[in-house]
Amino acid sequence: MTRWIGLVAAAIAALLIGVAVGPADLTLGAVGDALLGRGNDATVAIVRDLRLPRALLAFVVGGSLAVTGAALQALVRNPLADPYLLGLSGGAGLGAVAAIVFKVGGMWAVPLAALGGALLAIALVYRLALVSGAVLDARVLLLSGVVVGAFAASLMGAIMAISPAPEVRNALLWLLGGFDAASWSALGVFSVYAAVPLVVIYRQNRPLDLLSLGEEPAAFLGADVERLKRVLYVAASLLTAAAVSVSGIIGFVGLVVPHAIRLLWGHLHRSLLPAAFLLGGVLLVVADAIARTAFAPLSLPVGVVTALIGVPVFVLLVRRWAK
Amino acid sequence: MLLRNLTIPAVMATVLLACESREQQGEGSLVDDTGHHVSLARPPTRIVSLAPGHTELLFAIGAGDRVVGRTRWCDYPPAVDAIPSVGDGLNPNVESILARNPDLVVFYASPSNEPAIARLEQLGIATVSMLTDDLADFIRAADLLGTLTSEKDRSDSLIGWLQHEVSTFEATRSTETLPTVLMVAWDNPPIVIGSTSFLSQIVELAGARNAFADVDRPSLTVSIETIVERDADLVLIASDSGIPAWAERPEWRVVPAVRDRRFVVVTGTEFSRPSFRAPDAIRRVRTVLQEWQQR
Repeated sequence: MTRWIGLVAAAIAALLIGVAVGPADLTLGAVGDALLGRGNDATVAIVRDLRLPRALLAFVVGGSLAVTGAALQALVRNPLADPYLLGLSGGAGLGAVAAIVFKVGGMWAVPLAALGGALLAIALVYRLALVSGAVLDARVLLLSGVVVGAFAASLMGAIMAISPAPEVRNALLWLLGGFDAASWSALGVFSVYAAVPLVVIYRQNRPLDLLSLGEEPAAFLGADVERLKRVLYVAASLLTAAAVSVSGIIGFVGLVVPHAIRLLWGHLHRSLLPAAFLLGGVLLVVADAIARTAFAPLSLPVGVVTALIGVPVFVLLVRRWAK
Repeated sequence: MLLRNLTIPAVMATVLLACESREQQGEGSLVDDTGHHVSLARPPTRIVSLAPGHTELLFAIGAGDRVVGRTRWCDYPPAVDAIPSVGDGLNPNVESILARNPDLVVFYASPSNEPAIARLEQLGIATVSMLTDDLADFIRAADLLGTLTSEKDRSDSLIGWLQHEVSTFEATRSTETLPTVLMVAWDNPPIVIGSTSFLSQIVELAGARNAFADVDRPSLTVSIETIVERDADLVLIASDSGIPAWAERPEWRVVPAVRDRRFVVVTGTEFSRPSFRAPDAIRRVRTVLQEWQQR
């Protein structure tokens, strides 16, 4: 129970930090006033329309990536699994890069193209992995993901090689991930969308525990393993596709947060999944706050920061656990 | 303010230095922007130009008829369309360059071109590498290429004219409070133009102030929050597709100048690189600024 209180407190603290700090030099008092709608227009706009939706979006995306990572690690029974393993980042990246380089018009062109590319990759991987009818083989799933990802990455490389330098740089920066496109509408759309796969994955927490014993034991113990794998794969992929389309490809959160929670918390998915959601959110909100302020007015890609703060923390955890 | 005071002396100083170093080296041996000594036995007759700015410059000084190869990005003057392309200008394809049988290859000064330069020099083909990032670079390049191609009279008179135009713009800047201009190069992540870019130079000479004039780099990635804080009077977009689609996005509409649609759109390659068309570009920005101030 104290661990839960600690994690929820950390989540609240992270969100407060996300709103309190930024490249604009605002005092805590000014931020507080702005939250209540007092102060000059620019300050109110910065706090209410930029920082607040940005911190909340980073939290929900970080949580979604961590839950997806946890589910996929259990699904393919591979500790290296992360949300982007299954060809998704390649597909999303290809869609986004194509939209950027070929200058597809419209204010939502890049996120929609990323979503489209990710969905295409998901469909392709799923079809390849469905061997002999309806059986989703975890090994084939992994291999299909890797080859579809590699194929998409090659196409992306080819497009970049024949494109002018500024577009290539912009596309690479987009791929590194960030929350510069955060707004209340982006937050609203993503949250409503994400709620469905998150609930679907959470509802499978018992079968997920069984699956970690192996597919055959899980089946003996009453899990509908084939259905479980299909549901998990589709839910996790759709969730990641949406995360990529709002924030680009942010590595590390989905890989390491689930392991950190397993070390601290144990392996039961009933608590692992919500705890991973909270810790993933905390990590990404804090990483984004650092990305925005460390070299202000310059900003860093958030994906760079997640690994820079996540790796040392994870190393400490592993060392403590190994003793 | 910094740039305003620096532009002209910096331009002058660079040109003077360029002239001095040539005299020290003696005729026929010149130093380019990478410190490489360029010496030609005779004026080049077959030039491959590996940057759009260099190609435009060669045409302007009257050496256009000797350009036998260009990059696929070279787009001005229209006569370049008739010249075969050798592909990219950065890290170029040496075989395509050799196929044009050049006696001088003009590079943009960049580390990524070093392997190609080494290869060509090995094969006995002269190379020269010049920056053309701002007007000072451009004038230095015009002087060097004018000398190398024996079009010195033409390049000198054009340089003199350009310097005169620039100092006239300096002298006729409004003395009232200058409007601040935000230049957005990209929306996600937001990339804005800093003080050392050519576009910033145009805007300052036209009589405005870059909202990011304090950052000494060509461009920088920032948060929208920083852009809101700078509270620019105008947003200048150098693009051929009009007011960009991101101007409608909710996070960008937090920026007051974007929300109020205080946009100025300019089109044309004269805004993307320094050239002898720069005075025209500056004049056009000055006109739109004056129109905006009278509103």
